[in-house]
Amino acid sequence: MRFLSLTIFLFVANTSFTQSISQTYTLSGYVTDAKSGESIFGAKVFIPSIKKGALTNNYGFYSLTVPSGKYVVEFRLSGVQTKKKEITLNSDVRYDMELGESIQDIDEIKVVANADQNTNSTQLGSHELDIDEIKTLPAFMGEVDIIKTIQLLPGVSSAAEGGQGFYVRGGGPDQNLVLLDEAVVYNAAHLFGFFSVFNADAVKNVNLIKGGMPANFGGRMSSVLEVSMNEGNNKKFLVKGGIGAISSRITVEGPLKKNKGSFVLSGRRTYIDLIMKAAISDTSPFAGSSYFFYDMNLKMNYKLGDKDRLYLSGYYGKDEFNFGNIEDGFSVDMPWGNGIAALRWNHLFSSRLFMNVTGTYTNYLFKFGSAQDQFRFELNSGISDWGGKVDFSYYPSTRHTLKWGLDYTFHTFTPISVSAESNDVEFDTGLAQKLISHESAAYVLDEFDLNEKIKINAGIRYSTFQHVGPFTRYFKGDGISTQDSTRTYEKGDLIQFYHGLEPRISGRIKLNKNSSIKAGYAYNYQYVHLTSLSAVSLPTDVWYPTTSKAKPQQGWQTSLGYFKNFNQNMFETSIEFYYKGLKNLIEYKEGALPNDNVNDNTDNLLVFGTGWSYGTEFFIKKKKGKFTGWIGYTWSKTERKFPDLNNGVPFPAKYDRRHDLSVILSYKLNERWVFSSAFIYATGNTLTLPSSWYVQDQDLLFNYGPRNSTRMAPYHRLDLSATWYSKAYKEQKNLETGETIKVKKKVRSNWAFSIYNVYNRANPYFLYVDNDGDFFSGNFDISIKQVTLFPIIPSVTWNFEL
Amino acid sequence: MMKHLLYILLFALLALSCTKEVIIEVPGYEEALVIDGRIETGQPPIVLLSSSREVYAPTDLDAYLQSNISGATVTVSDGTNSIVLDEICSDNLPPGTEELAASMLGISIDQLENFTICAYTSLNNAIFGQVGKDYYLTVEYGGSTYSGTTRIMNPTPLDISFWQSEPDTPNHGYSWATLSDPADQFDAYFWEIKRLNGAASDDNFTPTFNPVFNDEFFDGLTFDFWYENPNAFGPETPSNFAGMYPLGDTVLIKFSKLDPSVFEFFEKKYVQVQTAGNPFATPTNIPTNLSNGALGIWAGFSPSYDTLICLP
Repeated sequence: MRFLSLTIFLFVANTSFTQSISQTYTLSGYVTDAKSGESIFGAKVFIPSIKKGALTNNYGFYSLTVPSGKYVVEFRLSGVQTKKKEITLNSDVRYDMELGESIQDIDEIKVVANADQNTNSTQLGSHELDIDEIKTLPAFMGEVDIIKTIQLLPGVSSAAEGGQGFYVRGGGPDQNLVLLDEAVVYNAAHLFGFFSVFNADAVKNVNLIKGGMPANFGGRMSSVLEVSMNEGNNKKFLVKGGIGAISSRITVEGPLKKNKGSFVLSGRRTYIDLIMKAAISDTSPFAGSSYFFYDMNLKMNYKLGDKDRLYLSGYYGKDEFNFGNIEDGFSVDMPWGNGIAALRWNHLFSSRLFMNVTGTYTNYLFKFGSAQDQFRFELNSGISDWGGKVDFSYYPSTRHTLKWGLDYTFHTFTPISVSAESNDVEFDTGLAQKLISHESAAYVLDEFDLNEKIKINAGIRYSTFQHVGPFTRYFKGDGISTQDSTRTYEKGDLIQFYHGLEPRISGRIKLNKNSSIKAGYAYNYQYVHLTSLSAVSLPTDVWYPTTSKAKPQQGWQTSLGYFKNFNQNMFETSIEFYYKGLKNLIEYKEGALPNDNVNDNTDNLLVFGTGWSYGTEFFIKKKKGKFTGWIGYTWSKTERKFPDLNNGVPFPAKYDRRHDLSVILSYKLNERWVFSSAFIYATGNTLTLPSSWYVQDQDLLFNYGPRNSTRMAPYHRLDLSATWYSKAYKEQKNLETGETIKVKKKVRSNWAFSIYNVYNRANPYFLYVDNDGDFFSGNFDISIKQVTLFPIIPSVTWNFEL
Repeated sequence: MMKHLLYILLFALLALSCTKEVIIEVPGYEEALVIDGRIETGQPPIVLLSSSREVYAPTDLDAYLQSNISGATVTVSDGTNSIVLDEICSDNLPPGTEELAASMLGISIDQLENFTICAYTSLNNAIFGQVGKDYYLTVEYGGSTYSGTTRIMNPTPLDISFWQSEPDTPNHGYSWATLSDPADQFDAYFWEIKRLNGAASDDNFTPTFNPVFNDEFFDGLTFDFWYENPNAFGPETPSNFAGMYPLGDTVLIKFSKLDPSVFEFFEKKYVQVQTAGNPFATPTNIPTNLSNGALGIWAGFSPSYDTLICLP
């Protein structure tokens, strides 16, 4: 309540301050890319004479309210020529600006946000990466990967070698809100987690918030990963693509109507199945086994007028795994994938009031079908979300931005649905577990300058969650004195209701022009859980909603940071401390098996606990010059405590890492060559191994030690890449003047060479206890084996644009 | 069937990976008492005691035999009769029982003579297993007391067992059975076999690789199912005959009912045996019906027997 009072006080004080300024007018408009017409996020609109400015939002919109007068207004963006415009403000003015093409033929590593954002914004633990930055880094098997780049940032850990799951400041992989054009992505991985679902050609920019989550985001506890898709060129048609070692991709974009609307369509497909087909002979018992994935992205936008824009985004991706053993008459078909759609409408009520309405649909489906002789088995698991939200942004003055909105999602979870039959006999596999729920939230936040040095972002979010029928609750009997029983809820019955307030506040104190201190606090509710039975992330991991048994996850995080820029913003540095507390975390109870989910509610198999994590992150980034890159180092500790696991004794999380270091360097030799390297060092993950063996009925059995008490060897790896660009221009003689002029080439291409794991480090993927021989024949041996996935892997990709 | 998923993922993974042996610290070892006790319908209770060994300890048979525990006080009660079991050691076996004891332990008679191995049993037929009774086990050893309870369930015999050749192997096939599962009750089953082929007969029953199942998915149904021959694997068996019985074999099927806690032990035991090392499986400590940190099981078996003659 004290927090609420403070917020109201600050809001009122600040509004009074705003009202004291008389004769103010608003300069507003959109900033777009001159080459493509796409909106630009993070461009700074700045008036040097009064030192006031505003940043463009996700849709390229800005609003700047200042006293009346004549001003020179600068439109700034890193890597792009600053444009100036003299504007007289004696009434509200709408001015749209196109910013020119990149100065460099080859995009150097750049940061989209304005140069002094590191020290100016109130946001802690935030990283904005441009896709061009990601594309110059070494790529695993030639596949440019957003998630793998995110994993190189301080405070972010990878789940395992090559894995897509990421852990932010000790949070689980389900605690990251992954948004693709504002639609939630539940499973952001292909190929059992080795590749991201985000096709880099379809992505415009990426923003990660790992601390101090603003109130306009919710539903997850640890981080927000916002991925924005390209909008498409609204001036001319373009085709670009690439041919790589395991996949190829193509993107087509162009105007729907010149300068009014555009589209972009991207597709990508792997050919691992063709390689497998060639490798497995027709006579092999495994003939017919294959794997491939594909994905498609579509985005369209259209200006309905000066005040209205529509955006339609879509994603569809699928993995298809087939396995067959002819000798055993055994076959498996295992497809899984996401389908995502988002329709957004931007409307300007006035130069100061911006609205975005979004409707989203998200679908994730996993299937496992198997047959052996007369036996058939099928398992389905999935999620379907329909969502809608409305967000308002109000810019009453340059010192003040107010946002509020509503958010609603209709969830349908199918954690597991199984059918099985043998000949004509259909087995009783219970009712399909289907859970229906309503999740909604309302928020308000205010970002304001308290004075010249202090800026505050304070907000509050109120979220609710209703689990409704139809639903069948299983009560498991002990099999002797009591039998299983069920309770059935009818459609629409309210089974459980949760709600909570989520206060968020962060602030910045500017120490001088180049340095600041920031602090933040955020409280979050999360109404979905990811249940995993295996030690590694898999598509079989099941999303499960909050129920009467599985209570909403709750977490709070407080962080404090010192930020400093050097050499006219050439270097950005920061040091951040954080502490995070988590409760109502879930795990499967000891000994739970996958088939226990059948004929039961998954939450009957779960146990609940708490967690905490704390750490320090160091970050230094060089943004300009031939040498660019960053060094990130994290020291952290992450623990969990479950009364029903590990005898109630706290244990380290499986991704608890004391040290995590990333060194990313990029060197632009000239207009044709860019070289990059990435070095990673991380403390080994934890796992649970048997600490003893015993014999029962002539079988040797293992007894496991304390949970996650064994630590694997440290992980380290060096990757290198070199990118060669074809000449962007050709020289031509002007027939009239005889001068030699540069003409842009119609076709541009580059070759991207990468070497993954240059010094062939055998990094541990997992350890297991191997037992060979026959115990009673006297040749039995127990050993601990380490499995390494990826040795040194060179790759080459050819990319083109025409 | 869902375990197939784990194997397939492992197959896909191992196709990409390489493996090496490492030495790594595995903390948490504490020596625990292991109780391997069984009581069957019409049979005396038998209890073997041993201790667990650290994971890097030698894994030869000697190590196991040396871990055998004597000097404990073992009591079995059915609620009416409470009998202290006799300790019978290999150096003091009744004449003529050496071969049976060696077979039970899975060792040779020579090895039996080299070690003193003790088991606990009673020939007092008042404590022989009876259907429908609960049996309470108490073990007092080293100043601690360990206990457990099991029940001998009502047996459910197979309707019929039969042998069926495979299309590509007319002289080899799997063992099949028809089962009518009783409705509206928990039922768990355990499948073991012993071949009765004259001189080539087996001494003991052998469980199949995944011998235990319950009726969660077929409560009250009548259906056919098959089991492989657990003795028909390995280098001496051609791969196309793996798991099959040849035409003419005679097989004694021991089809036992288990109580829920015993079922859970065996279910998790065989999951562990089959998935040890698979990263996609959960590290599974095998649950027990024993108290005070003891490992193992006190298991009541309620068998019914069926003789299968492998003829079309």
